Amino acid sequence: MRGRRDPLLWWSGAATLLAAGFGLSMLALFAVESLPVWRQEGLGFLAGSRWFYRGGEFGALPMIYGTVAAAAVALAVAAPLGLGAALFTAEVLPASWRMAVKLPVELLAGVPSVVYGLLGLLLLRDWVYRLLRPFDPLSGDTLLTAGLLLAVMILPTVMTLADDALRGVPASQRRAARGLGLTGAEAAWGVSLPRALPGLAAALLLGLGRALGETIAVFLVVGRQDNQLPERLLSLAPLARPGQTLTSKLGGAETFIAWGDPLHWGAICGLGLVLLALVVGLTLWSGRLLEARAGRA
Amino acid sequence: MKRPGRVRVLALSALAALLGAAAAPATVRVQGSTTVNPVVVEAAAALTRETGIRILVDTAGGSSGGIAALADGRAEVAMSSRPVSADDRKRYPRTRFEPVAIGVDALALVVSRDLWEGGVRSLDREAAAALYEGRVSNWRQLGGPDRRVVFFNKEPGRGTWEVFAGWLYGDAAAAPLVSLPEVGSNEEARSKVASTPGAITQLSAAWADGQRVFALALRGAGGAPISPDAEAVAAGRYPLARRLWLITDGPARGEAARLLEFVLGPRGQELVRRHGYLPLAAGGAREAP
Repeated sequence: MRGRRDPLLWWSGAATLLAAGFGLSMLALFAVESLPVWRQEGLGFLAGSRWFYRGGEFGALPMIYGTVAAAAVALAVAAPLGLGAALFTAEVLPASWRMAVKLPVELLAGVPSVVYGLLGLLLLRDWVYRLLRPFDPLSGDTLLTAGLLLAVMILPTVMTLADDALRGVPASQRRAARGLGLTGAEAAWGVSLPRALPGLAAALLLGLGRALGETIAVFLVVGRQDNQLPERLLSLAPLARPGQTLTSKLGGAETFIAWGDPLHWGAICGLGLVLLALVVGLTLWSGRLLEARAGRA
Repeated sequence: MKRPGRVRVLALSALAALLGAAAAPATVRVQGSTTVNPVVVEAAAALTRETGIRILVDTAGGSSGGIAALADGRAEVAMSSRPVSADDRKRYPRTRFEPVAIGVDALALVVSRDLWEGGVRSLDREAAAALYEGRVSNWRQLGGPDRRVVFFNKEPGRGTWEVFAGWLYGDAAAAPLVSLPEVGSNEEARSKVASTPGAITQLSAAWADGQRVFALALRGAGGAPISPDAEAVAAGRYPLARRLWLITDGPARGEAARLLEFVLGPRGQELVRRHGYLPLAAGGAREAP
């Protein structure tokens, strides 16, 4: 144990305080800046389905829906791909081959999101447009397009973290399973997967967090049409239509126009607060899952 | 002994770099309209080459974004494709907007190739309003091909949108509240219209290349369709002409003044012409909205 006067203690303590302070003051800043809109709209800000800044109406629900819908598509595509690939690299591939597969996937994580956005604009929009032809879509800008683009973007996160989770299961347990006569596949299903479950869930949640927060790539392909709240929430049809996410709204011109008008600016900051709360909530949840894993291992 | 010495040298050179940056000519930050942007970017590049002035040009938020940045002190010069409005002056009472016209641009309604080839070549104001408000949802209703209308709306509040809404409804503030898919920069608008059958958007005529997107002629009260070409704009016959502006807070000073001088000078005006806009001498002085 180091003494109280040790500079390391002071320095690390101050760093912790600062880091935590940044996070909390950011939440506080958004909360304070968004006060005017909470005062006018109350909880209607979250539940309202009309957003017309020129008419002074601010309801964020269609954007919350758009964010959740695009992220759900992303997860629905990236989860089976990412988990499947992780299972293969962790359980089947010999260790020497593992990096040869992981590296190209992890390269995907290093591609700047604006590059994804431009690829989406150039390729994915047209592809989705042709795919949806039977449903007579307006254009290739849809929530589905945004979701598919996000799926590619979160794939490396999901796969790498899932791979780590599976590799974290002690080899002795696998050997024990094999020693009992289980095949490799049976050992993977019966031992590795259940033991790695919290880590796998955390991989999905962290991927989801990235999908929720991604801006520029979504901005370019989602269509940015306001007030697209579907009549039936669980219907798939709205995915073939343009929509608006929290991030695509925040990344648009309105953020610049809002400055100087307290109510409009408050509404924009309110969207930021909602997004922040969503991502923070997910991060905390996945953090707890990872802790649970660490506790059991 | 060697190590600390090297660290000290590094620290000193970093300090020197900081001081050097402080002593160098101040940076001019320019922000706003993507329509004005290409002219200013090239003017800035030439000025930087010749004088070493640092000029940063950014298009975040379009015209209104530029005006807000100017009022907020985040930019020294705003680029705008719409005039400073009474609303701007009310919203930023402490900013003394000094707009300087640098050229004239025609705002076009552009359509995708399938519409152009399907015979959609001109619109009158009533038809444009019907398209904007969604009262017309298929081009057949306007004598075009059987195709759904995809109206990519320039983000409300941007210069292009304000000029368009002002033309349709007299005052942009009177425009009805609609929710359409939105586009931001001119590049995005052009690429989306080019790749979407049945698409129309509001776009600076200089960006209508006549290969991927096509500028419609507008029919005035007289009934004759008028294309947004230089001659019609210079003569004031094309209804959607607008001046392009550089705006400062109070009269331009220092490096910002040199940028304005350059753009208004012969070389800057040549850039205005080369990017498809009308130089001031060819009609910029006349009364455009």
